[in-house]
Amino acid sequence: MQQENFSPEQSLQLIQSMISKTKQDMSDNSIYFLVWGWLTFFACTGQFVLKNIFQYEKHYLVWTVIIIGIVFSIYQGRKEGKTKKVKTYIDDSIKHLWTGMAVSFFVLGMILTKLGWGTSIFPFFIMLYGLGTFVSGSIIRFRPLIIGGILAWALAIGCIFVSYDYQMLFGAAAILVSYIIPAYLLRYRNKTANK
Amino acid sequence: MTQPEKQLTEKESLDLIAKMINKAKDACHDTGISAMMWGSLIAICALVRLSELQFDYRLPFDIYLLTFVAVIPQIYFSIKAKKKRKVKTYDDAFMDSLWMGFGITIFLMIFITNALFNAMEGYKDPAGHTAVITMYEFISPLFLLLYGMPTFVTGVSMKFKPMIFGGILCWVCCLIAIYTPVKVDLLLTAFSAVFAWLIPGIIMEKDYRNAKLELAVANV
Repeated sequence: MQQENFSPEQSLQLIQSMISKTKQDMSDNSIYFLVWGWLTFFACTGQFVLKNIFQYEKHYLVWTVIIIGIVFSIYQGRKEGKTKKVKTYIDDSIKHLWTGMAVSFFVLGMILTKLGWGTSIFPFFIMLYGLGTFVSGSIIRFRPLIIGGILAWALAIGCIFVSYDYQMLFGAAAILVSYIIPAYLLRYRNKTANK
Repeated sequence: MTQPEKQLTEKESLDLIAKMINKAKDACHDTGISAMMWGSLIAICALVRLSELQFDYRLPFDIYLLTFVAVIPQIYFSIKAKKKRKVKTYDDAFMDSLWMGFGITIFLMIFITNALFNAMEGYKDPAGHTAVITMYEFISPLFLLLYGMPTFVTGVSMKFKPMIFGGILCWVCCLIAIYTPVKVDLLLTAFSAVFAWLIPGIIMEKDYRNAKLELAVANV
């Protein structure tokens, strides 16, 4: 493992970041959960409506909305990188985790492109949503996210037993309980903590 | 009489802090025993399954059941490590939750793929292949996808290059395995397990033992 000798400046930076951590200065990552949560929720329900109500053939095109999420995440990440002077362990861990998650979603997309998007794809996606939120909740010690992750896993299991048409609704429900609701609760908590 | 307290200069204070941090870092080395065990076990399971397909024989039990048996020594290692560490660092908590989440996800993946196999029994794809066979070709890629995630995140968080490369290798092998037959998929799985877990585990264990030795010498 990499072993480094700390310069006095690095030591001070480390101390500063540790102080930020102990002050429970939990960075507000809820904006990412909200943007991604609402986009995915919209895509899941939109696909359901397009496929089952309007019988539109290219119902999957609704998923192109995730481009908005990618652009937003890059923009927000850069903005935060410029304005934030002290990076906490929490910031780093969340960044590493979601980098891993983003690659996993991409690789899963590649698998499903070959396997066929019309097959049972939602259990796999919901399972990964659960992993991301469960670990994020553990990192920032925020119980609603942990519970949201566990509920997403339960929905992934339930999802197997319904047809593809209804799996989309399970996807929407998973996003609601594991991203959107915990993100609003996190916002509320951070607001009251700052007061 | 108490000794007069020595006033440290700013530089001396920082040096002392740096020394303490480095000492703490030495004491924080993880053993690589779990990574070694899982790396060798997954590689063996994949190679045994490959030999079953290649030489057309079947063991009286599913070789992958060994992964469930391995949970017992894993629990023992975890309890031992927990008892040993005096302070639970932030990284420890992060790694614990990451790998616990991974364990649950692997269990779910087994459950979901089995359920899909049962649901697909009897169906045929447009090319006339049974859906079960089509699905079987994607089992290794799905698991490789999951192997890569915590390995990469652990590597990046611990600044441990062998695991960063190992995680990326799992994903690359996953992408290759999408287009290769099952036998090659199994070889890729064994290859990934060796490079993502077994080799990094050996390096971690070596580092851990060296750090322990250095600490023992320093405390003499």
